Amino acid sequence: MKKQNVRTLSLILCMFSYLLVGAAVFDALESESESSRRRILEQKRNEMKKKYRFSEDDYREIERVVLQAEPHRAGRQWKFAGSFYFAITVITTIGYGHAAPGTDAGKVFCMFYAVLGIPLTLVMFQSLGERMNTFVRYLLHKAKQCMGFRRTEVSMENMVLVGFLSCIGTLCVGAAAFSHFEGWSFFHAYYYCFITLTTIGFGDFVALQKKEDLQEKTPYVAFSFMYILDERRDAQERASLKRDRGLLDGAVGLHVVGEQSRGSHRERNRSNDTTELPPLRPGKVFIFQAGRRCLLVDLVCSQIRCESLTVMFY
Amino acid sequence: MKRQNARTLALIISILTYLVVGAAVFETLESKQEKSHKRKLDARKYELMRKYNLTKENFEELEHVVLQLKPHKAGVQWKFAGSFYFAITVITTIGYGHAAPSTDSGKVFCMFYALLGIPLTLVMFQSLGERINTFVRYLLHQAKKCLGMRQTEVSMANMVTVGFFSCMSTLCVGAVAFSHCEGWSFLHAFYYCFITLTTIGFGDYVALQKDDALQNDPRYVAFCFVYILMGLTVIGAFLNLVVLRFLTMNTEDERRDAKQKALMSVTKSRGEVARLIPVSASTSSTPVADDTTKAKDLKGVYTEVLHFQTICSCLWYRSKEKLQGSIPTMVPQELTFSDAYLQQNSNCPHYMEPGSTGCVCSPRQCTSISSITTGLHILSPFRVFKRRSSV
Repeated sequence: MKKQNVRTLSLILCMFSYLLVGAAVFDALESESESSRRRILEQKRNEMKKKYRFSEDDYREIERVVLQAEPHRAGRQWKFAGSFYFAITVITTIGYGHAAPGTDAGKVFCMFYAVLGIPLTLVMFQSLGERMNTFVRYLLHKAKQCMGFRRTEVSMENMVLVGFLSCIGTLCVGAAAFSHFEGWSFFHAYYYCFITLTTIGFGDFVALQKKEDLQEKTPYVAFSFMYILDERRDAQERASLKRDRGLLDGAVGLHVVGEQSRGSHRERNRSNDTTELPPLRPGKVFIFQAGRRCLLVDLVCSQIRCESLTVMFY
Repeated sequence: MKRQNARTLALIISILTYLVVGAAVFETLESKQEKSHKRKLDARKYELMRKYNLTKENFEELEHVVLQLKPHKAGVQWKFAGSFYFAITVITTIGYGHAAPSTDSGKVFCMFYALLGIPLTLVMFQSLGERINTFVRYLLHQAKKCLGMRQTEVSMANMVTVGFFSCMSTLCVGAVAFSHCEGWSFLHAFYYCFITLTTIGFGDYVALQKDDALQNDPRYVAFCFVYILMGLTVIGAFLNLVVLRFLTMNTEDERRDAKQKALMSVTKSRGEVARLIPVSASTSSTPVADDTTKAKDLKGVYTEVLHFQTICSCLWYRSKEKLQGSIPTMVPQELTFSDAYLQQNSNCPHYMEPGSTGCVCSPRQCTSISSITTGLHILSPFRVFKRRSSV
């Protein structure tokens, strides 16, 4: 079977087993506490129903009112600041859901807004991330020169390390800031930053939802927006670093198999060389006709990485 | 200013503008309704409070209980089916939030789970999407041949159209299914599918939350999971087709800049160039950069070598499958290269008839492959393969 097909199949299997394992672990961790909490809450509810003598219909009415009033408790969600916050959660695909368009027109506009905004945001974050990587590489290079290292070129490991540290730093700064402003524990604030940065965005913790914060505490609002956008860029940077790394020391090799080669030489690319390879498509065969012989090149590529280059010649 | 910097700046400015415009529109659309909705709810709330003689504290207590019961109302969320649903929302980054880990250990595990799961999922969807694109391209090609069209190569526009239609139909199929099963209107179900498949995942509409569906209706549960994963694949394939190329623009520009710098240094240091193994009798050898001096710009060398009339470094693309059958045998001269060429894509759009040299396309148009061709150029068909350390 073709290499790409094998790879794709194994990735699918990997993902399914990952989901199964995750489901089992979450079940083990949360199920108990869920059922006990539910029991307690239902008990409380029944107590209250008896105490106030609610009729069933009225209780359902109360429920409806309370649930629908939930977003309003956090203040005006759709003034300019709130809408800006919402727009950010849409195009970065975080999607807390703390506020969601209630009107049908809002829903339709939201869909069109996302269709254009999400790719634009992806491209922007990639672009910005690449610039940041280049700049950091330059700084590291200068730093190495200043410190009098013998080898001043910046390796991939250096870059990944710096990237990783900057991510952790960003998370910690955010955790400290949000735990101070929102009154969450450091752990919960860290969890919030992580869920936001990975764009999962559960919405169990949402910044700027304490009473009227969106309207009143402007510097905090500005900080939150910048932080969220910055976090996304950080994540993209790391992702592109990883991809570049894959590009550089992926298994690109030039295998030469030929009946006429004396003692078939197999050469491996040095890692630098792969950067010269253009983004070619997998499974394509290039035929070089030189004179009357043909060189068959089978390129096994995945996405923008070239995995291996097999040259057979006759 | 460097092109990449200009591009990055332009993108930042356009995103900020986009956000401002979007915020303004959302405000106009939603603000008034928000106010009136809040007023209505408050009115209803005070009515109920008066009817049952509730104080503010009482009502707040009630609120608290009701809000906390909300996820439980939708059924058991953390049994295996619910946890699987949750795990899907984590690694695909949809993140509805209809259920979120309440224990601290659950939160910690969730973070580690996401750390590994999200890249795995991204890679898988891109990989699968690329396979699907290739398959669709193949199908379209066969279809074009069957329909007897003159030009049977599949253009980008074809692919984008097909991709777009498959996305739309995925959304519509889902909308129909969910509006039927969840009792939503078609628009709301379509909105739900869209928000889910773009992984925004507000959580205002969440499937499998009615009537304890997670425990009672395994077929519907399976359908939801399959729909989400397949829908994400289709969207991923479309993104792979359309957006992926833009994600590496800056990196490619950097490489091109580096190459150009190298080219400047090549023109300065001709003397180091090694000799080309003559591939054919009738021409004198031309110095060609040895592959070990990687800094040389391969494109420049390539162009130089092409002055040879007898050496054709033309590139044809052929599907591997077709050629595999003939691999053990020599690839015959009379292979219809036109046929082979036409089977493939837009990389070499300028197809010309084979000239006296047997060249089919102008190398200048296949610039993206220049680096490969130059390297392989050194391989003489009449000689033993010499050491090549790189392409």
